[in-house]
Amino acid sequence: MERKDLLEQPVKHIRVNGKLSVDELVQQFGNSGSFGAGRLSTACDIYEKMARDEKCTIFLALAGAVVPAGMRSLIADLIREGLINVVVSTGANMVHDSVETLGGHHYKGHWLMDDHVLYRHHVYRIYDVLVPEEDFIKLDLKLAGTYDEIADEYKGESLSSSMFAWELGKRLNDPNSILRAAYEAKTPVFLPAVRDSEFGYIYYLHASRRNFKNTLVLDAFKDVPEIIGICRRSPRNGMIVIGGGVPRNTIQSAALATKSGLDYAVVITMDRAETGGLSGSTLEETVSWGKVKSNASSVMVFADAMIVFPMMVASVIERLGKGFKRKKPTQLVKYP
Amino acid sequence: MKEKGKSERKFCGNCGSHNAYNYPSQVFCTNRFLKNMDPVVDTLWYCEDWHLNPQGCHCIENAEKKKRAQISARTA
Repeated sequence: MERKDLLEQPVKHIRVNGKLSVDELVQQFGNSGSFGAGRLSTACDIYEKMARDEKCTIFLALAGAVVPAGMRSLIADLIREGLINVVVSTGANMVHDSVETLGGHHYKGHWLMDDHVLYRHHVYRIYDVLVPEEDFIKLDLKLAGTYDEIADEYKGESLSSSMFAWELGKRLNDPNSILRAAYEAKTPVFLPAVRDSEFGYIYYLHASRRNFKNTLVLDAFKDVPEIIGICRRSPRNGMIVIGGGVPRNTIQSAALATKSGLDYAVVITMDRAETGGLSGSTLEETVSWGKVKSNASSVMVFADAMIVFPMMVASVIERLGKGFKRKKPTQLVKYP
Repeated sequence: MKEKGKSERKFCGNCGSHNAYNYPSQVFCTNRFLKNMDPVVDTLWYCEDWHLNPQGCHCIENAEKKKRAQISARTA
């Protein structure tokens, strides 16, 4: 490499006027190409490529409380538009989705609130978002009955977590719900750590009432062939990660099992690589496992997903234009 | 005889099995739910399985306040 090759692209300074659209601002970030702005602009380029690549299955990994914070409708819309084809989420995000479906709400609070006062008022805090306890309890009561219904239907046959999410989506009647949108769009929702959420406690309520007989049976291993099958049948696979954790690795491990690795990867996280934890692990490290191709289009954006992801979506939708329709894949997993 | 402190009064809102439901008037009782009984009961009620385990919450205080307000609205 010659010295002149290192100095090919000068940084262009960001110009802002009163009429900038989101994508125009992102393009300005791209002109700078620096720091978080450059990474966000690259993330938008990669998401646009994924969206335009009709042979790509787009996976979304969701970890962190983005649904309580206000990202519910955005994700439901992306599912409906085929701009997300598979969701892999913490159980908690889908619990909060269900809380709102049943008429509950999340409220604006503050990160400096007195938590003992909140405790005395039966109000839970997620950083600066508040949830009244009764919204969880109403969910417990309703879903314990739903678990009974599903258990009676399946008569001891086990369900994968995506079948479970499908059965919930079938019964939730709210167009803004992620689970409902996924059910209608035949988009699988995997919940690999489903018991680590209110869904787990609801199981306890449902099963205790039946003396642990004829209960709902979830089989975590049933997810494995389902998600590997999706990756294997898809000519190309891409992932967008919000947070990381178990959802991110569930997608990566499926890609690894196909021996081909992911073709596209965007990770939005504020975690760091130095702890050795998966959420902050670099995409270069992921290449060493074969989970992401070495020539994949990939970038990590180190920022708050609540800011970055809606911007990314707004920018990409603007680029795709009003007439754009993404061909939806045929049903990725068949349910009874 | 020592008068019972506010936190010891025999109400569902002081019982260890309660959670908020229709705040503050009604609570959800896990114990009753597990026995297949109607789990939604009045905060100011109690049953034979009542066991004191005050959570330091404002359920009773607010349920009483609401009840008083309802009575005075009716009598006004």
